[in-house]
Formats: sequence, structure tokens, C-alpha cells
Amino acid sequence: MSANVSGVKHTRGFDVIKPLSIGVMVAVMLPLVLLPLASIFIFGTSKGLPSFWHALVEPEAIFALKLSFVTSFWATLFNIIFGLFAAYILSRYTFWGRNAIIVIISIPTAIPTAVAGFALLLLWGPYGLLGRFLPLDMQIMFTPYAIILANIFVTFPLAFGVIMPVLETMSRSLEEASATMGASRWQTFWHVTLPSLRGAIVGGALLTFARAVGEFGSTILVSGNLAGRTQTAPLYIFSKFNEGQVEAANAVAIVLALFSFVIFSVLFFARDWLEAD
Amino acid sequence: MDVLLAAVNLAACLPGPTTGNGQGVVITLYGFSIMKEPLEKAIFPAFAAKWRAEHGVNVSFITSFAGSETVTNQILQGAPADVAILAIERDADKLVQGGATKDDWRSRPNGGIVNKTPFIILVRKDDPKQISDFPDLGKPGIQIIHPDPTSSGGAQWSILAIYGSELEKSQAKTGTQDPARAQNLLASIWRNVISTPGSAREARTGFETGYGDALITYELEGLSMKQAGDPIDIVVPKATIYSEHPAVMIDRNMSAEKRSVVEAFVDYLWSDEAQQAFVKYHFRSVTNETFNDANPEFAKIEMPFTVQLFGGWDKAYPDIIQNIFVNQVKSK
Repeated sequence: MSANVSGVKHTRGFDVIKPLSIGVMVAVMLPLVLLPLASIFIFGTSKGLPSFWHALVEPEAIFALKLSFVTSFWATLFNIIFGLFAAYILSRYTFWGRNAIIVIISIPTAIPTAVAGFALLLLWGPYGLLGRFLPLDMQIMFTPYAIILANIFVTFPLAFGVIMPVLETMSRSLEEASATMGASRWQTFWHVTLPSLRGAIVGGALLTFARAVGEFGSTILVSGNLAGRTQTAPLYIFSKFNEGQVEAANAVAIVLALFSFVIFSVLFFARDWLEAD
Repeated sequence: MDVLLAAVNLAACLPGPTTGNGQGVVITLYGFSIMKEPLEKAIFPAFAAKWRAEHGVNVSFITSFAGSETVTNQILQGAPADVAILAIERDADKLVQGGATKDDWRSRPNGGIVNKTPFIILVRKDDPKQISDFPDLGKPGIQIIHPDPTSSGGAQWSILAIYGSELEKSQAKTGTQDPARAQNLLASIWRNVISTPGSAREARTGFETGYGDALITYELEGLSMKQAGDPIDIVVPKATIYSEHPAVMIDRNMSAEKRSVVEAFVDYLWSDEAQQAFVKYHFRSVTNETFNDANPEFAKIEMPFTVQLFGGWDKAYPDIIQNIFVNQVKSK
């Protein structure tokens, strides 16, 4: 009898556990993730597609989306280059303080984003530690640069976190072979190390970008939240919601939801190509 | 910075601002949450047209709206405001004390107050919980949305409205004010608060979404909700406060050239044109009561009072908000 327990699916030709477990999984996801997302789409389009489109082509809405994408682009570019650089150094050399640096790079993950925002204000604000020495026309806070700085801070660990483990587990034999054949350190990095990091770099960049586009807590503190000037898409959504213009807020929210759907689809389906050697 | 900005613009098309691009004067205004409609729909366009006609210069506006205390703190942290319109005088004083401005804002007409509106109670259509005045809000089972007094000026007005209404009523009845009664009412109402959003406007959005049986707020919020067809009723308390809203010019870092335009704009807020625009968007005029009589939507209030009942904000904040509300009511 007991021997048959594991053979249930063979004797009946049908594995009950499979549909059951899938059902449970979807049932758990439904109220936690799927329905909240669905409600954005339902409310965003409840007054018809023309009114959705109208809300979306508002100059302030378009500006907010553009500003989010541009500031996130620069933050991503910086964090990818720095993340690659830091991961390379930390995986190749051991030195005093190495572990401390790894921990410090990871800290922004657990810091509330509002704290990141006012930390930047306390440093770079017009009355901040360093900001007070900047001339008036070179102030950083309450400009798009402040948004880039905030994005860099909150997404700092992401690209590094994706690249570092790949570098650490990478076989050294190819690099060693390259060096034996007379390649310079730079040639080895450019032709051997970097190509095998392709997947990690693209993955890290998409994660960083997606996270930066959705950033809210730090941006609202450092940007000044001026409509059409320093108001990013998440701030626009928040302001419109507060004004009671739920459709306008939802229209932009739908764009952000579709955007993250695209990003993570790319991550998922391009995995084979990205991880090929 | 300009060179860097140009480089960033070229490299990744950092979007140009939607208003005030390069030419003319740009005025940056930070306002408390409910000021948005009259300014953006009526007063900005009218002032810009007037200034262009008189001086041939384009004026455009960029804005940010949030709870009054939030706006004040943003400006104190260095946010680039030229004008602030605030929910309470105390915030205007904070801007002066914090060094953001040297503006002698009280020297303008009506002591620097640009408009006013009484505090009323919003209830669901046909008043299913039978709320007819502030004391009904303290009954068990009533759920109230009330903005957070630490970030919202409207929330502080609401607390003064509740507390002051009992002082006025006891005064009318017995000839002396009864602070104990007033504090009891405030405490019983606060026990029924289920959510404290950051601004009066956020509280309204929460109420519109269906939370709570009642919302204490500016009369104009109720009138604009009725205009939008929301299923609500306005309950006018027998005794309630008029909230009065100051405008301040933020002259830290302001060029002389810009100053003349900003000053003209601030003065314009007391013009008949602007005051009538406020009335159109449900605020009450402070310069001319006949403007208000012309608007039949405005409720008649039996026993109206102002912050002067408490001796002005200099006394009302420490005595009522801090000492009675924060230290005694909220902490329980």
C-alpha cells in the first residue's frame, strides 16, 4: 500500500497535485498582486479609451513620464558603470576594508527612500553641509539633477548586486589563457571578461532602470514637486490622486505598469541570449 | 550649471519645462492644497493677460500644491518659491522667522489675508448618520476622516472650529466660556477619527473614495464636490470658524526686476477681479461682502468666529493645538 503512494499519478494517469498547487498559487496571487493591478486598468479606462488617452496626452503627464525616463537613464548609466567597476575590483583584490565596502554598497536597499531624500537635502540643500557653499545658480536640490542623485542613491546596490556574484563565480581559466597569450589587462577585460558579463549587465541595467522609474519617496523630498518642471511620473500620480483626479492618476499608472511588464518580459525571454557565452 | 544642463539636454533630451520656457517672467508659487483651482483656472490667466497688456511682458506660473505645513517646510529647506499662499498665518510667520523672506506680509490689505471660508461638516447624501452639528461627530459609531494637524493647516482650523464652537455656545448660554466642555467634545470626536491624511485635499479624496461618515473641511471643498455631482450633503454647524489664508512673497534670492512683477501679482490678489474669481471658486471675499452676498451657495452661519476668539494664532497654536490637542487629546 505504502509503495503506491508515490505512484498515485501513474496508476490514475493524472496528477492532482499539479492543478491543485497551481490553483493555490494563483489564488494567493489574485488578491495580493493581480487584482490591485487589474483595478488600475479598470479605473483608468472606466470612462472610455478617449478619456484615458486625453488624460495621457496632458502636457504635464507627458513631461512627467519623460522626466522619469531621462533621470532614470542617467542614474542607470552611472550605476552600471560604477557597479561593474566596483564588482571587478572587489572580486579581484582582497584588501583591508573590502567587506565593509560591500556592506556599505548594499545599505541603500534597507534605507527608507524618504530617509535617502532628506539625507540628500541635508547634504546638498541650500542650507546643507555642502550645498551652502554652492553659488545660487549652481544649486542642485529642486532641479532634475537632484532626482538623478536620488535615483542613483536608491538603486545603488542593484546593478552591483547582479554583477558581483557572476564575477565571483566566473571561471578564471579563460582570463588566464588570455593573459598567457600576451593580452594586456585591458584587452582581457574587454574581450574576455566583459562579454561573459553581458547577461548580468543587461539584467542589472533593466532592474536599476525599472526601480528608478518607480521611485517616489526620495524624489518628492528633493525635487520640489513642481508640475512641468521637477514632477516625475510617480509624483504626478500622487498629486493627481490627491486632487481627486483619479482617472488622470490612473492613466499614468497604467503606462508605468505596462512599462514594468515589458521590462520584466524582456528580462525573462532574453535570458537565454543574455546568458549564452 | 547651464553648460551641463545643455549637455544633458542634448544627450538625452531632458524634457524642457512645459511652461515659462525662456522668455518672460516665471513666477513659482507654492500653495496649500485647496488653492489650486481658482489660481490655475482664473487668477493666473487673468493676471498674465493684464501684465502683457500693460507691460508687454509674458508672465507664466509654475506651481506645487500640498499641505500648508509641508509647503512651508519645503520652502524653508530651499524650494525655489516666489510666492506662498498658506492655510494659516503661523506658517507665514515661520517663513519670516526662518529667513526665507523679509516680506512684511501683514502690511497688505486685510492684514495679509487674501480670502476666507468657513469650516463645515460633509456627510453622505441624505445624512444617514443624522449629523447636524459638531457634537454629533463625537457619538459612538461615527467614522471620521480628519487631516493630520502636523502637516495640514486645514486640520488645525478644524480643531479650532470644534473647540471654539463649544466656547461660543457656552458663552451664549451661561455668559462664560467652558473650556472643559470644549476639550471633551474635541476628545470624543478625535476618538472617532479613522484616518489622518496629509492635507485637506487628500482627506477629501479619501472621503470621496468612500471612507468615513463625515469630513470636517473648508466650505469650498463641499461646494466644489456638490458641483461635481458627488453624493454628499453639507452640514453647517451652528457655531464655526472662518479660516483665513495669508499670501507671502518669498524674497530671498529675488532679483529687483522680478520683484516688481511678483509684488504686482501679490497685490493683484486683493483686486476686485481676483476676489470675484475666488468667490466663483467658492472662497469668500475678504474685501467686499457684497461679492459674497451675490453667491447664494454660501451658507448662513449663526455664530461665526475667527482665530481672534483665541487671541490670534500666536495664542491659538500653543494654547489649543499644542497644549490641548497634542498634549492632552491626541496622547490619550
